[in-house]
Amino acid sequence: MKYMLMIYDNPGTREAFFGEEGKALMADMETLMRELTESGELIGGEALADPSNTKTVRVRDGAAVITDGPFAEAKEHLGGYLIVECERPERATEIAARWPNAKFCAMEVRPLMEQSGGDL
Amino acid sequence: MSAEVRAEDLLRRLAPQALGALARRYGHFDMCEDAVQEALLEASIQWARQGIPEHPQGWLITVASRRLTDQLRSEQARRRREDVIAALTPPEAFWSPAPGDDAPPDQDDTLTVLFLCCHPSLSPASQLALTLRAVGGLTTAEIARAFLVPEATMAQRISRSKARIKASGVPFSLPPEGERQERLRVVLHVLYLIFNEGYTATAGPALQRADLTGEAIRLARAVRQLLPDDGEVAGLLALMLLTDARRAARTSADGGLIPLAEQDRTQWNAAAIAEGVALISATLQRAPLGPYQVQAAIAAVHDEAVRAEETDWPQILALYQLLERLSPSPIVTLNHAVAVAMVRGPAAGLELLAALDAEGQLVGNHRLDAVRAHLLELAGDNAAARDSYRAAARRTTSLPEQRYLETRAARLVVGNE
Repeated sequence: MKYMLMIYDNPGTREAFFGEEGKALMADMETLMRELTESGELIGGEALADPSNTKTVRVRDGAAVITDGPFAEAKEHLGGYLIVECERPERATEIAARWPNAKFCAMEVRPLMEQSGGDL
Repeated sequence: MSAEVRAEDLLRRLAPQALGALARRYGHFDMCEDAVQEALLEASIQWARQGIPEHPQGWLITVASRRLTDQLRSEQARRRREDVIAALTPPEAFWSPAPGDDAPPDQDDTLTVLFLCCHPSLSPASQLALTLRAVGGLTTAEIARAFLVPEATMAQRISRSKARIKASGVPFSLPPEGERQERLRVVLHVLYLIFNEGYTATAGPALQRADLTGEAIRLARAVRQLLPDDGEVAGLLALMLLTDARRAARTSADGGLIPLAEQDRTQWNAAAIAEGVALISATLQRAPLGPYQVQAAIAAVHDEAVRAEETDWPQILALYQLLERLSPSPIVTLNHAVAVAMVRGPAAGLELLAALDAEGQLVGNHRLDAVRAHLLELAGDNAAARDSYRAAARRTTSLPEQRYLETRAARLVVGNE
């Protein structure tokens, strides 16, 4: 099963990764990424730019209305994601628990929908 | 059959035999596997231009041996550079093709390769990938496409599996007699998983060239040729044939799922059904009974009904009772409940589901909700059926199943609406 691990940030989390104190966090992250690559579990992932760079697009009366800033204002925002393929759901939550953001903010683990369907 | 297809088929059949011959002679299963892949690639290019050589297997083994020699040489050079004792010094004979390379090896190593690829120390995902590459002769790119993962991810899974086999030190030989039955179960399970990956695909790249159901059936046929007396091998092959026979009818043109009862049975593959029915009938008469045989027998009863209403449900019910004894699981109980409902009425089926609820193993599984919805609909309780269809639709991670379940929910007429 493939899962998206959604990495949540709050305004203070990114800073924690930079500077002296951030080195250990970066190292944890790199170790985990290497492990996931070597195990063949990692399918992909990206980090997202700060929410202030977001444009929200709505179509009203057939016309696109584009505004600056995120769709939903929230204290926490999506900072990035990983896609992993795991044998068991417990493995996906275990990976999430090892991602540094789980310590400061939170991680969400959601299964991806498949194009396959069993007999009915 | 075009010359190209014939060469392709021949190559895929010869791939595990060539790998076996190399691994038996030189050891280094992991490097041999790479060498055979390179030889397959060369063959597909050269044979297309110059035709199939007179001794195709000898050709493959010779070319793969050369590639292996190149690999070992560069490995040795690397080690020398690093000032490490060259532990991989190959025998003298290694530098030139060994005598008799042109003649086919005196034994078929396909089974040994298959047992190695399905070694219990590997995860199921790794077993699948390695089997398709080393036994099926598919390229890493083809396997990656079939499983919808990036090629780099699949390459990593394959090389890691090979490294694990190397580290475990298992010899290149058949498992000891005492372990063989258990190891064969793993092999059959891997083939069944490959089959299901292909069978359940409703759209997308999994349906393209690396046709996994066809590949699984081909491999099951190969195993059956090598183990003609094993009832479960025959049972699995029959199950695949009888299931795959319905493939064209199970999806609509736009990719929607069509349930068994509503399928256009004229689209079923009559030849595959005839072969599967003959195979399972003959097997049930002579071999000790096993779960694949019983599942094949159930599929045969479905396939033999010309119209859904003619399905022999009492026989299917008896077979599910047998399957529950042989290989009990909550999913078997769920299917058993459907058969009970068809024979004794929906209330009896729903009672069995209540027992499953109490056991708790399938809590949150969309299949439990989907079957409940179906039985409630049969019972005429449309409001409850609709709730259950919707609960199942929320829980499934399959898009086509979700679409089917939502459609079923939407078409139920509920009083006062």
